[in-house]
Amino acid sequence: MKLVYDTHILLSRNLKKRFGEKIWFFLGMLQPALYLLLYMPLLKNVGNTSALPLERITQIFVPGMLIIMGISSLFVGFSFIPEIREGFITRLLVTPISRAAILLSFIITQVVVLFLQVIILLFIAFLLGLRSSFEAAFLSLILVALIGITMSSLSYTISIITRSEDALASIVNTLYLPIMLLSGIMLPISLAPDWLKSAARFNPFYYAVEASRALFLENYSAPVIAEGFGIMLLFAVISVWLVVKALRNMTS
Amino acid sequence: MEKDDIVLETKGLKKTFVTNKGKTQVEAVKGINLKVNKGKIFGFLGPNGAGKTTSLSMLTTLLVPTGGDATVVGFDLLKEPEKIREYIGYVSQSGGVDMSANAEDNLILQARLHGASGDVAKKRASELIKQFELSEFAERKTTSYSGGQKRRLDLALGMVHRPKLIFLDEPTTGLDPQSRAHFWEEIRRVKTAGVTIFLTTHYLDEADNLCDYLAIIDQGTIVAEGSPTQLKRQIGRESIIIGFKDMKDLEQAKSLLGKQSYILKLRSEENKLHLYVKDGEKLLVDVLHLLDNHAVEMHSIELAKPSLDDVFLEKTGRSLREEGS
Repeated sequence: MKLVYDTHILLSRNLKKRFGEKIWFFLGMLQPALYLLLYMPLLKNVGNTSALPLERITQIFVPGMLIIMGISSLFVGFSFIPEIREGFITRLLVTPISRAAILLSFIITQVVVLFLQVIILLFIAFLLGLRSSFEAAFLSLILVALIGITMSSLSYTISIITRSEDALASIVNTLYLPIMLLSGIMLPISLAPDWLKSAARFNPFYYAVEASRALFLENYSAPVIAEGFGIMLLFAVISVWLVVKALRNMTS
Repeated sequence: MEKDDIVLETKGLKKTFVTNKGKTQVEAVKGINLKVNKGKIFGFLGPNGAGKTTSLSMLTTLLVPTGGDATVVGFDLLKEPEKIREYIGYVSQSGGVDMSANAEDNLILQARLHGASGDVAKKRASELIKQFELSEFAERKTTSYSGGQKRRLDLALGMVHRPKLIFLDEPTTGLDPQSRAHFWEEIRRVKTAGVTIFLTTHYLDEADNLCDYLAIIDQGTIVAEGSPTQLKRQIGRESIIIGFKDMKDLEQAKSLLGKQSYILKLRSEENKLHLYVKDGEKLLVDVLHLLDNHAVEMHSIELAKPSLDDVFLEKTGRSLREEGS
């Protein structure tokens, strides 16, 4: 019970900080909408398929968009590193709240922000003609949450180890590009040469995108759904373990 | 000494860092024994890199020791770190203020992290704002605070839960002289409230003026300890410093005084001659007579009491002042 209480105290502080930076928060929320509005029209003529109807495009593109938002949790370290440097994290470590509460609060903060972004995106997509069941939207939200947990934990791990925004920036950039290209979010992998297709099989987020698309097509019996969830859950567990280890190493 | 009077005790506390993939070992703290008495200001004096912050990190449960034992506020450091965290305050070198919030929210958060309910936390925050004179800027964002203002908030944050023992790591580094003097007053007031203070410093004047008891640390080892007065008295000598205009006079004085048995040690520095003596006040007259009789022209003369720097010099062969601060 104490864990829940302590987590809630830090979580409200973190959310107050995120919502407090009004302009940045607004821009962050706007980002998925910008993707939809600026990028989707480009997909209209992809792969010589003559103009797909808009709602068909949203059905392919929006699921991928959700995964991108989850992957973007890699950026949370940029506001975490200054908190390490200013001694705020150390200050938390010397109070009676548990290490678990500290980590949980920081990870959940990102999940809450992600939920808001996803809801805004789905609303805009709805206006653009996307029709999906509540179950599909809900399950996708869970999938995005798993990715958010994975990517924010990874980002916090890198932040704790390097304590340098420069290092974090180059690592995030290096990870971001191949993950995006090889997940079939921006362009369908079916357009890729064979070697690239095989490479995509090694990208865990490829499975997440496939699962998300199957969900929006309400193709619930597709095996890709279980695959996607399974792989994302595995990665979430591994990355949480990594961040726990990193925090523990901070004090040894 | 009564057992109850000791708030912190270490036995052979040690920290070795393994770096370079296990190839090199750095002994940051080489087994230190400390005893800190209740209600005192305990100073840990030493140059940068001596092991002060590492020791403090161990005592505040942030770093697991490689060896040795310690009891902090009555609890075993290795077995009950959670208990210790309830009763100690810690102000790190960087402070730990949440820069996204104002002073009031920082204090409320800290109180809540220590288990206070919302109302109690709010009340405690306003008490501390009054006590540490933060009201002028308490509702402004902390990013706009001056060095001195931020430092006072740091101290207030460490005092939120009324700790028995508060650790201050280099509390006045980077403050201007006026803010420093003001901050010393704040620290003394904390002591008056019955809180024991454990601070680290590399400033000689801070150690001398503020601390009741000192442990001098160098290269991970305690080289001396005692009250500032005791430590200086241990040195048992004063120095007479004579300045000359002409280097010829200095040389002549040097050879004359070198023959006197009451001079313990003689050292020239630029155009000044340092004579280490016992009972300097009486010998000052003898020295003046001697030089005057031989027509050695002096420019200035002063008698200096031993300083903590002399203590450090005697124990380590180096001057703390020269280490740069």
